[in-house]
Amino acid sequence: MSKSFRDVLVLIGPALVVVSLLMLLPVLGTFWISFWRDLPFAPRRFAGLSHYLRLLGDSGFRQSFQFTILFALVSVALEMVLGTIVALVVHEKIPGRGLIRGIILIPWVVPGVIGARIWQLIYRYDIGLINSILNPLFGFSVNFLGSPSGAFFSLVLADVWRTTPFVAIIVLAGLQLPSRELYEQAAMDGAGLLRRFTTVTLPGLRPILIAALLFRTMDALRVFDTIYVITNGGPGGATHSLSLFAFKYYLTGDFGSGAAVSMLLFLIAFGAALIFIKLGRFSEQVL
Amino acid sequence: MADRLLRAGSTAACFVIAEHNPDSMRQRMMLSFRCFFSRRIAPGALLAFVVAALLSGCARESASLVFAVGGAPNECDAWESLIEEFEQRSGIEVTLQRQPTDSDQRRQSLMLPLQAARTDPDVFLMDVAWLSQFAASGWLLPLDSYIEQSGFDVAVLLAPIVNQLDIYEQQMIAMPVYVDCGLLYYRSDLLEKYGCAVPETWEQLVACAQEVQAGEREDNPRFEGFVWQGAQYEGLVCNFLEFIASNGGEIINEEGNLALNTEKNREALQFMKDLIHDYKISPPNTYTEMKEEEVRMLFQSGNALFERNWPYAGPLHAAADSPVRGKFALTLLPKFEAGRHASTLGGWHVGISKYSDRKEDGWKLVDFILSYESQKRLALELGWNPGRKDLYGDPEVLRKMPHLETLRTVVEASVARPRLPFYTQVSEVLQKSVSGALSGSLPVEGALEQAETQIARILDTYRE
Repeated sequence: MSKSFRDVLVLIGPALVVVSLLMLLPVLGTFWISFWRDLPFAPRRFAGLSHYLRLLGDSGFRQSFQFTILFALVSVALEMVLGTIVALVVHEKIPGRGLIRGIILIPWVVPGVIGARIWQLIYRYDIGLINSILNPLFGFSVNFLGSPSGAFFSLVLADVWRTTPFVAIIVLAGLQLPSRELYEQAAMDGAGLLRRFTTVTLPGLRPILIAALLFRTMDALRVFDTIYVITNGGPGGATHSLSLFAFKYYLTGDFGSGAAVSMLLFLIAFGAALIFIKLGRFSEQVL
Repeated sequence: MADRLLRAGSTAACFVIAEHNPDSMRQRMMLSFRCFFSRRIAPGALLAFVVAALLSGCARESASLVFAVGGAPNECDAWESLIEEFEQRSGIEVTLQRQPTDSDQRRQSLMLPLQAARTDPDVFLMDVAWLSQFAASGWLLPLDSYIEQSGFDVAVLLAPIVNQLDIYEQQMIAMPVYVDCGLLYYRSDLLEKYGCAVPETWEQLVACAQEVQAGEREDNPRFEGFVWQGAQYEGLVCNFLEFIASNGGEIINEEGNLALNTEKNREALQFMKDLIHDYKISPPNTYTEMKEEEVRMLFQSGNALFERNWPYAGPLHAAADSPVRGKFALTLLPKFEAGRHASTLGGWHVGISKYSDRKEDGWKLVDFILSYESQKRLALELGWNPGRKDLYGDPEVLRKMPHLETLRTVVEASVARPRLPFYTQVSEVLQKSVSGALSGSLPVEGALEQAETQIARILDTYRE
């Protein structure tokens, strides 16, 4: 062993140990548990792949899987577009820019459960904010969370409200990167506003956008608090995200099945992360 | 590249895991703190710290007897003062472990120490919905020998409750602290105004509610005929069970077989749906928002004629600032023509952990909680319906709680939820399917069929 390699090991070793203890161990632990029938009220025994096989044939799991993917697609797409627009607006020199930038962050700063509770109060049928405006004006109330599609879009809206600021802040940071000269030069070459956006701003933003996309997709796939508070999976199980699905196994004390759902969710999130990392070519450039 | 991948992936997994379990999150934070600390000392110390962190989960936190209770702040306060009296009398020091109100959260916070075979909490309260899970998991100390030694007379407890819930494999594993049953609250003033009789059957309830609702809505457009718990949660299963049982239906029959998708149950579920969509006497948000408190507040604000709720609502309706004070009464829930009155059994029971190292002291506490004086005190202070039947004749208690007479008949007509260690899973399926039927996203028959298939699967998985 060369001296320099030993030095490297000494320096990096503790960090490596901490990283693997805190990050790798839980994953491997969950993976291990998912092979066992681990119930408090029955003898523990090896279950092999039976949890996975059962889940794949389970209509509840399929419904939950479809919901989670659809939810992630729709909400992340909306958040990316809105977040970018918001970032472009507050990047301009508009009056009160500092104040506006601060205000925009509020939904992201509000704890998830509290934000969800606020939306629940907005959607409520009897005393909800929307209905207490609708009812006196038009004489009817809407049961927003009463139908599967209504509940879906209500949840998407709540999630978009909460996480658009996150995207906006990341994109705003990216917007500071390209130098002013680049824009001036492009303007001198006769490029219009839209042209400048597509040829200068967007390529410059690419790694930043993909990083935001990565974070948001993983968060959206793991969505829990918003749904737990607003619908708790209802109506009729139409809004069970995979996290909620796993959580309900843990509630029974069925840790094996819960771990299997968590592992499948991890694989999905990991797969998404792989794709985005490849797209972002993060290994080739320094952010 | 590989390193970035690993980092992104494992961070995701960590969060996936931590998010499901706030407690593991806390442990992880503790762990990370300890790790950071030891990183600056030496690798050996790191190991020692990690081992210590992992082992600390098993040690006892407090030297005194630990009693875990939850509930509303006033309930915890009542326990606090009751425990003080116990400490003075017995000289045993007790630490009250305050738990949240939510039953699921209370169960989780008990399951963690029990699964880890911790010695505390020693004594705790359990919801009837998860009593059988705890019993089947072998976490509860059989109480028979203690009962015999101390001469506690089990005959003073409500026999139907004890027989249905507290006896597991011929052994007494818990005792009823208080009893909950579904009740029908009604506005006696409005029934009189419209000349309706107190409904005996569901048909009568519908007819009466339609008439009164139409009349009252002229002045008050928010008035509802009948409110009950229809949101997708445990309360929905309690309500569903009452509707089907009052039509002679059941979930699991006496032979232990599934009997869900039956004519009687389809009728009952159809009726629940009709209450909202056809008779329109229950509001459209019944299946999205109506839990105990939503229902109680609607009735208490004077905006409903009939209310299905637990006994806790009674004292609140009768409180000095309640708009319905003196204008309401309670009775048995109605039944279908061919069925019987049925109330879902709820309530909380007390038991001792099998892993406790202070079982003797634990029993003294249980004995004290179940004593005539303590039960009376809890009844008078909190309006709880005692688990002891001799209190149902106590003049002082009866003066404060005149509805106790009715309650005793309700207890006789009670139905328990299926007693399965994996009941939570079964309940999850029922909640989803019944909620689907109520919202109209599933046809009634399809909903019961789906529930039966999924529950059969659960039985297969867990029963081997």
